Amino acid sequence: MMRNGSARLLLLLALLPAWTAAHAQGEPDWLVDTLYGSGKINTVITVVSVILLGIGLWLFRLDRRIARMEKRTK
Amino acid sequence: MRTLWWKIMALALVLAASITALRTPLAPAIVYASGGPFAPGGNSASVIGYRTHFMAAPVRVFLENGGQFVEASSTVVADDTHLTARFEVPVGLREDMSDLVVVAPGHGAMRLFAAFYNPEKGTGAVDGVTDAPQQGERAGFVFPNRNILYETIRNLNFHVPMWFTMMLLQTISFVFSIKVLGSGRWLDDRAAVQAVNASLLFAILGLITGSIWARATWSGWWTSDAKLNGAAVTVLIYLAYLVLRGSVTDLAKRARLAAIYNIFAYVLMLLFIMALPRMTASLHPGSGGNPAFSQYDLDDSLRPVFYAAVLGWMGIGTWIFNLQYRLARIENRHDEERLR
Repeated sequence: MMRNGSARLLLLLALLPAWTAAHAQGEPDWLVDTLYGSGKINTVITVVSVILLGIGLWLFRLDRRIARMEKRTK
Repeated sequence: MRTLWWKIMALALVLAASITALRTPLAPAIVYASGGPFAPGGNSASVIGYRTHFMAAPVRVFLENGGQFVEASSTVVADDTHLTARFEVPVGLREDMSDLVVVAPGHGAMRLFAAFYNPEKGTGAVDGVTDAPQQGERAGFVFPNRNILYETIRNLNFHVPMWFTMMLLQTISFVFSIKVLGSGRWLDDRAAVQAVNASLLFAILGLITGSIWARATWSGWWTSDAKLNGAAVTVLIYLAYLVLRGSVTDLAKRARLAAIYNIFAYVLMLLFIMALPRMTASLHPGSGGNPAFSQYDLDDSLRPVFYAAVLGWMGIGTWIFNLQYRLARIENRHDEERLR
């Protein structure tokens, strides 16, 4: 399961540069409004949220691993 | 919960650093100045400040070109962040671009670099220039306010510690991999892989946060840059480590093979993140010869907050690794009992 997950992530990351290169030009309005307004403070909010969400997801994963272990040792 | 103190310490450091990083006000700064080419003669510009108080103070506005200052002939303040200045630009200014310098009490000297284009270069103006203005003191504990960056300078305390934590965890993994080669113990191999797992969490958070920051400052989610691509390649190398390790079924062979690969991966990580980016010019700070800790990259007000954040996040990273390692140890014991 672990192997499968990291293989999929590897593929996704390998495709990422191609995808971002296609989207790098131009600045849509919604992005200018949300990221550039008010001294770009929303960028900081987004970054902090991403970190908290990432660690939250990680906790879920760890939780699942522990639950699986608990089931096996019963 | 064994040995509680360092976990509490890590949490306290991250909390303190995050609050300071979010609450510290930015220094007042000039963020925008209108006006096309400033040819000799009368020119006016509308100036926008961020966190400035133009109303409260007598504001003096200057152009600086090649060390020569031209004071505005008239300044009309509209509100705290908007003013219009009129300059009598003398003949013969030396450089292509003039800086805008606004001096106000309590604000220090606020400078917008390369604000105006000077279409007629000369050998230095003779008339109409003044001495450099008195700088004045800047008040209070504030973060530097740079145009383009603005509030996003706070991200330094969130984005960069992710990478420091990643490197610490990969160093831990490296040490365990060397131990595997000496001892051949499966447990050391499990520790190495758990450290890589935890390091990848921080690497991916670092990539995503960096990408968001780049979008707001460099106008692209990704730039083809030695530092950025080096970081991405490092993540791919470590993902390949997990894939390689997972594809070997023989446990003893798997431990040794993974350890050897991991030692190479660590060296490549140092090369891609620490060595190669310093040899090329780059948008990313800490490239092109200088480490990121030079006085140009890190202001004195940011430094203590940044160090606290790095230490705290390293602690949290180690804690995550510690939890996974303890779980892996239980799994390992379970597997060994089953094999017997």
